Amino acid sequence: MATRKETPSTPTAPMASTSPGATLDSPVKQIQIEGLVVLKMIKHYQEEGQGSEVVQGVLLGLVVEDRLEITNCFPFPQHTEDDADFDEVQYQMEMMRSLRHVNIDHLHVGWYQSTYYGSFVSRALLDSQFSYQHAIEESVVLIYDPIKTAQGSLSLKAYRLTPKLMEICKEKDFSAEGLKKALIGFEHMFEEVPIVIENSHLINVLMWELEEKCTVADKHELLNLSSSNHLEKSLQLLMDRVDDMSQDIVKYNTYSRNLSKQQQQKHQYIQRRQQENAQRQTRGETPLPEEDVSKMFKPPQPPPRMDTLLIAGQINNYCQNVKEFTSQNLGKLFMAEALQGHNS
Amino acid sequence: RSELTNLIKTIRNAMKIRDMSKCLEEFEQLCRAFLKSKTIVDKEGMPPFYIRLLSDLEDYLNQLWEDKEGKKKMNKNNAKALSTLRQKIRKYNRDYETEIASYKEVRLFAMTTQDGRFLVICCCCFLANNTYQVFGNIFVTFLSQSPGDCGNRIEVERHTSEKKKEDRKKRHKRKERVEEEAEEEAQEEDEGEWEKVKGGVPLVKVGNQMFAKGTEINTTVVVKKLNEILQARGKKGTDRAAQIELLHALANISNENILGEGILVKIKFNIIASLYDYNPNLAAFMKADMWKKCLDCIDELLDILFNNNNIFIGENITEDSENLAIIDSQPFRVRGCILTLVERMDEEFTKIMQNTDPHSQEYVDNLKDEGRVCGIIDRLLGYLETKGSTEEVCRVYLRRIMHTYYKFDYKAHRRALGLQGETKSEQDAEESEGEDSAFIMDRLCKFIYAKDRTDRIRTCAILCHIYHHALHSRWYQARDLMLMSHLQDNIQHADPPVQILYNRTMVQLGICAFRQGMIKDAHNALLDIQSSGRAKELLGQGLLMRNMQERNAEQEKIEKRRQVPFHMHINLELLECVYLVSAMLLEIPYMAAHEFDARRRMISKQFHHQLRVGERQPLLGPPESMREHVVAASKSMKMGDWRTCHSFIINEKMNSKVWDLFPETQCVREMLVRKIQEESLRTYLFTYSSVYDSISMETLKEMFELELPMVHSIISKMIINEELMASLDQPTQTVVMHRTEPTSLQNMALQLAEKLGGLVENNERVFDLKQGVYGGYFNRDAKRHNFC
Repeated sequence: MATRKETPSTPTAPMASTSPGATLDSPVKQIQIEGLVVLKMIKHYQEEGQGSEVVQGVLLGLVVEDRLEITNCFPFPQHTEDDADFDEVQYQMEMMRSLRHVNIDHLHVGWYQSTYYGSFVSRALLDSQFSYQHAIEESVVLIYDPIKTAQGSLSLKAYRLTPKLMEICKEKDFSAEGLKKALIGFEHMFEEVPIVIENSHLINVLMWELEEKCTVADKHELLNLSSSNHLEKSLQLLMDRVDDMSQDIVKYNTYSRNLSKQQQQKHQYIQRRQQENAQRQTRGETPLPEEDVSKMFKPPQPPPRMDTLLIAGQINNYCQNVKEFTSQNLGKLFMAEALQGHNS
Repeated sequence: RSELTNLIKTIRNAMKIRDMSKCLEEFEQLCRAFLKSKTIVDKEGMPPFYIRLLSDLEDYLNQLWEDKEGKKKMNKNNAKALSTLRQKIRKYNRDYETEIASYKEVRLFAMTTQDGRFLVICCCCFLANNTYQVFGNIFVTFLSQSPGDCGNRIEVERHTSEKKKEDRKKRHKRKERVEEEAEEEAQEEDEGEWEKVKGGVPLVKVGNQMFAKGTEINTTVVVKKLNEILQARGKKGTDRAAQIELLHALANISNENILGEGILVKIKFNIIASLYDYNPNLAAFMKADMWKKCLDCIDELLDILFNNNNIFIGENITEDSENLAIIDSQPFRVRGCILTLVERMDEEFTKIMQNTDPHSQEYVDNLKDEGRVCGIIDRLLGYLETKGSTEEVCRVYLRRIMHTYYKFDYKAHRRALGLQGETKSEQDAEESEGEDSAFIMDRLCKFIYAKDRTDRIRTCAILCHIYHHALHSRWYQARDLMLMSHLQDNIQHADPPVQILYNRTMVQLGICAFRQGMIKDAHNALLDIQSSGRAKELLGQGLLMRNMQERNAEQEKIEKRRQVPFHMHINLELLECVYLVSAMLLEIPYMAAHEFDARRRMISKQFHHQLRVGERQPLLGPPESMREHVVAASKSMKMGDWRTCHSFIINEKMNSKVWDLFPETQCVREMLVRKIQEESLRTYLFTYSSVYDSISMETLKEMFELELPMVHSIISKMIINEELMASLDQPTQTVVMHRTEPTSLQNMALQLAEKLGGLVENNERVFDLKQGVYGGYFNRDAKRHNFC
């Protein structure tokens, strides 16, 4: 709390801070997270998230210059089938109102989500992040990876949709042409925002003290050599996505084949019509009336490209994960070998 | 008007219970109501139902009045009411005398005197068709209820909707009225409201009076009479039962007068034909007594034909060239085809069997007639072999085959086992004198193969022959015949009954292969039938429940007619069990071998489905049904535990459900045990080879209770097929594993690589399309295949 620089001059209402000019380049360059938020998220997952289940919550904070400060958060309750009529918006509003009463930042600045082996690039995430960013310009999504965290290093990432993608989502134009025009590839869908975790000085001091006391042996997760389990899972997920990708490609293939076939037919039809008209003219008859060709040949429905893009993004994500993991593990293995050689 | 009918109803009820005071009360009310509706009545004329009530009531009262004793028993109130009512109705009826009189006359009668010698039928045609049906129903029920009854009356009036109800009521009271009717039958008049039309062809003929007394009864007269009777055939309103009676009478007459066999044969033909005609509906089946009569008639006909060599019958003898009279040394010539009659009889038999509940005693009783049917066909066969043309012989042979192919020849079976001899009674020995069904089948079928010109008969004969072979475990003959016939290629063009026969044959072939231990063949043969999930329908053993959109009532009727009678059914559970067990024996080792293979294909979808169903169960109890047994067995087999697998497949329950249905139960069971042991061994090696460095064959032998050479051969086979990465160490008799199987992670990576390859190829295809080289990719692909 101490680090929060609350200057009265900065506009506290985030909605007011969004000027049209600011939309072009991202208003947030850096994210500063309170240690409390991190701990709350981790706790939330530990208590409610099991296996591949995902937990979600709301981030609260405010924007200071080009820095987004996240100072608090609260979880969404887990959905069960019983309370289908549960009103999320209502719940959020009430929660924020209550928090305001106890003098906690109550401005909505995004949301967080846990992930299972990095499988978070999905349509649902895109849609909700879009709606967040649409309503509140500076919103971010924090992705917390509990599995990586369990391996010894905290994994927390903040993402935002790129302005280009925001444009496209706004226009709901997910066709191949639209995406091409906007020059959107899977790399350009999300932008990662650097994160800084801030704590009060007292906590920092405590941390230093703990560091002193703690021995290396206590951090044994870091040195875990087993890799196959994690890799297998990742590969399995990766494979599933690759399958999806293949299917999408096949779909696209059939689509383009149908399209070209139809083009041919259309062409033939026009030619025939022209020939007939020419014949009729020589015979002195009136030419046949022009018909609306496009009505006769309805172009096939193009498959939506967005899903494919998302899958590609997800695959990319998996690959990054695997790469990271393997390089770390290789390092560990070499180290272990060296140690063994040294001991013997 | 409805008030009137309601009142009438109550009066009639009162009449029934002899409640006179009630009757009187209601009658007075009725009169009042009738007066009220006077205006309408004047416009439309007297309502007939009203008149009828008046007349009936009067009759009834008179009857009661005369019944002195009954009157005495009545209580005072009732007696008083009776007398007043009687007087009233007399007065009242005087106003409507003419109408009532005409009503009484119009009643029609169907009378049969006690000796049943003659039959008077007055048939009426009606203005409306539906009336006709009502009449027909009443009439038929009448005849069947009381054929010997001395006086039956059928009343039919011009039809109004109210009357329908009344009619029904009338029938209840018919008994009461019988006496009155006897007096009234005499006069007849046509007039007024009551219209009477004599319809149809009146068959008013009286036994001996069929011919005028004194007429000399000779052939020509009889033939004339016969034609006269036959003319009524098929016409609306002709009483078919009466026609049959008449024909019988005619047959008797000709017999009495010794007119010779020619005419008798002719009449018999017609009797049988009209028996077949009896049911106007194609779907309906013969009644039991009709069926018996039909069988008797055909038997008699065959007797005559056998006894008289000089009778020629044929379809192509025209009416004119018939020779029925007895002229010395000249053979009789009669038009008619005995073969068609017998074929029709056979079809009727099938129809009867189809329409009988297969679990009733009735079915068993009906099935007993099968012997007679076979006998008739056999006799006909003997007859036609001497007289008929080859085509006819082929047809009758096919009938014979159709009655033979599905029966298991226990005699031959026992003889083959060498059990014949001391244990048998004399009767059994006598029975076994007959030819083996195999020989019969062989002889008949070969004749058909050689002589038949229509494709259908030959196809059926081949299929039946294969079926018969398969049923008697002559696997190789059956298979060779199936392959030689090339039926698989063009069976889809055949008509549905033949296709059903084909399906039955394939199934029987598969079961036969299973008994012989040819698991793979069995599986292949059964795959088509079982994978569709419509085995029941494909074998013609019942209709599947489907929504009505897919088939209308008409189609359903057609399908029903195709059903195979119950005694020819193939046990569906047995079929499924055989299929599942053979799928298990194939699939489990395969699954174990290709655990990580991305391109693993299912051998049997249905088996996998069963496995999945088994897995989905939240609580796994001991297996109950056959499927659960197989699933449980599969699970233990997956672990290489052959003993448990064995106990699941072969136990009391499964024995009674499935295995005891085979003729050579013991052999089949032994075969199964061996197969289970072998396949379990293979599965075990596939699953657990990664855990072993080496394993002694001696141990394996003990584990699976197989002989050492057997173990040796199985392992060698696996090594040769590159299914097992190992080598045999001869001196120590051990299998040494090479450990070349990749770890699961490596497997995954391989799979991923493969998938990515597919992805790249697909991507290239997109690129090809963009470049405009349409089909370039496919050509290249084809080339690549060529290199392979």
